[in-house]
Amino acid sequence: MDFASNITVSALFQQTLVGLSRTTILFIVASGLSLILGVLRIPNVAHGSLYMIGAFIMYSVNLFFGGGQAGFWMAVLLSPVAVALISLAVERGLFQHLYEREHLMLLLFTFSITLVFGDLVKMIWGSDYRSVDLPAAFQGFFTVFGFPFPRYNLLLIIIGPVVASGLWFLTNKTRIGKIARAAAVDREMVGAIGINVSLIFAAVFVIGCFLAGLGGALVAPTQNIRQGMDHAIIIEAFLIVIMGGLGNIWGALLGALIFGLTDSIGVLVLPQFAIVFPYVVVVIALLFCPKGLLKSTW
Amino acid sequence: MVKAILSDSRALKAFGAGVAVFILLLFVPCFLPRFHVYLLGLIFTTGLLAVSLNLVLGLGGMYQFHHAVFYGIGAYTVALVITKTTLSPWIGFLLAPFVSALFSLFIGLICVRLSKLYFGMLQISLGSLVWAVVFRWYSFTGGDDGIHGISVPGIISSTSGAYYFSLILTVICLLAMQRIVNSPFGRSFQAVRDNPVRSEAVGINVKRLQLTGMVISGAFAGIAGSMFVVIEGSVFPELMFWTLSLEIIIMCLLGGWFTFLGPMLGAAIIVLLRTFVGIYTEYWTIILGFVLMLLILFLPQGVLGYFLEKFERSGMKQAQEEK
Amino acid sequence: MMLHVENLQKTFDGFAAVSDAQLEVEKGEVVAVIGPNGAGKTTLFNLITGQLKADGGSIIFKDENLACMTPYEICRRGISRSFQIVNIFSRLTVFENVRVAVMSYNKRTFNLFSRAKDIDVSETGDILKSVGLFEKAGRISGSLSHGDQKVLEMAVALGNRPEFLILDEPTAGMSPEETRNALELMKLLSRDRGITILFCEHDMELVFSVANRIMVMQHGRTIIQGEPEVVRKDRQVQEAYLGGPDELF
Repeated sequence: MDFASNITVSALFQQTLVGLSRTTILFIVASGLSLILGVLRIPNVAHGSLYMIGAFIMYSVNLFFGGGQAGFWMAVLLSPVAVALISLAVERGLFQHLYEREHLMLLLFTFSITLVFGDLVKMIWGSDYRSVDLPAAFQGFFTVFGFPFPRYNLLLIIIGPVVASGLWFLTNKTRIGKIARAAAVDREMVGAIGINVSLIFAAVFVIGCFLAGLGGALVAPTQNIRQGMDHAIIIEAFLIVIMGGLGNIWGALLGALIFGLTDSIGVLVLPQFAIVFPYVVVVIALLFCPKGLLKSTW
Repeated sequence: MVKAILSDSRALKAFGAGVAVFILLLFVPCFLPRFHVYLLGLIFTTGLLAVSLNLVLGLGGMYQFHHAVFYGIGAYTVALVITKTTLSPWIGFLLAPFVSALFSLFIGLICVRLSKLYFGMLQISLGSLVWAVVFRWYSFTGGDDGIHGISVPGIISSTSGAYYFSLILTVICLLAMQRIVNSPFGRSFQAVRDNPVRSEAVGINVKRLQLTGMVISGAFAGIAGSMFVVIEGSVFPELMFWTLSLEIIIMCLLGGWFTFLGPMLGAAIIVLLRTFVGIYTEYWTIILGFVLMLLILFLPQGVLGYFLEKFERSGMKQAQEEK
Repeated sequence: MMLHVENLQKTFDGFAAVSDAQLEVEKGEVVAVIGPNGAGKTTLFNLITGQLKADGGSIIFKDENLACMTPYEICRRGISRSFQIVNIFSRLTVFENVRVAVMSYNKRTFNLFSRAKDIDVSETGDILKSVGLFEKAGRISGSLSHGDQKVLEMAVALGNRPEFLILDEPTAGMSPEETRNALELMKLLSRDRGITILFCEHDMELVFSVANRIMVMQHGRTIIQGEPEVVRKDRQVQEAYLGGPDELF
């Protein structure tokens, strides 16, 4: 078996770590998307644009503060907030009038926002590739089984569970989370008991988009920031959400894990077709569980 | 009785207008500059693609979110037959609809178990799988570069040759599709769109009907794909990227998906917008984005749909006054 | 026996909508199912015509078990139905509504190249005439009055030329005159065309004037099935309706 000759235990371990750090990004983005799909029922294609905007803002803020620890943390903090503000404007200005429309119309509407945002990004930041330099503390490598492993990826692997538990806390332990979960199941009922559903929806939308921005900010130092990264991420995020079960945060985590790991381990098996493996896995998963691996809120 | 005559005379008028337009289009290469002729060919291709999508989207009400895959497969079939085999290129053109239909059948078999958003999403995953394979299989499909400089048979290689090829194929396909829309199958498909539960209760095998619709629509998309190869002389993975699929849905929406030719109009608008606005600014998609937003907010039945509705309303008023 | 339902069960999220339904229908009969709201009548019909899958029990129609068939397979065996909540093709014309059913019966659904315009016109017209909707054939069905939509419900069901017709509250929401017409139609279908009819209805006067036999349901169970006179005198039935015999019928 020639094609599998480069699979060794240490390489497997290393690729698993790479996959886990990728999982973090995918999970953060997909959970935001899933939240919006689950509660608001909007298949938000513009989620990818917000992710891209998050990455670009990360770049600008980091540059503004002159890089280093200060610049990095300010940027990681500020860019999701900025994205959340943008999404708030979009939700109050446009979406709140459209909740009753068909899914197809909503999908197209969010796609039109994608078109607009895509060009706005091009206008503001130009079409050149950008990159973010990490502060010295996160540069360099650990040695794992004799292989170098980037420190920043380790940071990502730590952030993943933090965000997951934060989301769990938000949806299970806070008032807004409980109402949102109830609204996901029965919108009219929640409205009938005197809760302002519109505001809850706005909050959920903003939180979801905040996650898109956070994902973009965190991914910025690991890759080129460029046009088109919105198209790439959104399709992956959608597949993860569908595979995990619409509106289920843990489904998003499971989906992101499967997606991230098949991608990174696939590189060892058949490097040329590594990007194909996650799609194959999604298709297989959906063949057996057409409505997702975990229970969806739909 | 009066109504029957009225609709007959309207059908006759429409038929006459169609013939007149066709004759006009036959002479177009004699007086229009080459670029415009090329552009018209592109409009036919994209328009045919949009009409084929509307067969399942508008008529059948299915969320066909990744139609571009079948378009791309048709295009790649022709390109691969020409560049990778010693077969006659015409075989490629014959194969294109069949290969596309075959992929439609496979993807459809998996998807039709679901409906609406789930159907669409599963289709996007399967379509993306096809895209990813094409994108990476450098030795066979040329990977992300695609295949360029495909030499189609001499008779259709010139601009006007390609134009006539696309014109004639488009007309044949449109006639065939119109026939299908007005057939018992088409009516049943419409009924399924309106009310799948009742359709099944009156004895229609809904899943099989939807699958058939997908295969037919995929085959026509494959023909459109083969036309693209003739006009552009190249293929690339963007032909089956999901953004193109959404763009085709926009064309249907723009023209109006409850009309037969609406999507053709929508395709023309988008192609022209991209070409001519693209000359003045590189930011043409922002304009498309705004147009689309306004459309969804204020004109969800589409341009042609809107005018038809107005037309019909004024017609009804007239008829009432005559009474 | 034409239809024989035994021990039928259906549970939704722990709630037993139908727990033990028994039903017998002979060829040519008109059988009514009655019972208080929530007794499981509509669920029973949905189980027979395949809109729902039973959890247990059997539905034998002419020696075949319908329990594992899809709605369209059941329809092709000669069972046709109308729905309690109007369930028509609301964006199509009245004529097309019925024609879809007729074309389906004549196995033309997958006919791709003939012109639908000229197909099954007279057959569809006859059905519309028989129910009195011919004048409104060109109207978009969604724009009809509620009473007319209920009639169209029945007309669509007749499009499949059923041997066995199931009507779920055929006169609900109709005016007295429309109700009378519907009643006449049911009698006509039974007498002249020999169609076996199974229906449920709240209007007791109507039930007792057309039904040969009556089946009474309560809490998802069949209490009794028998001749109208037998049912009328049954103690359990009277208790089920929580009132004395005088208030009931």
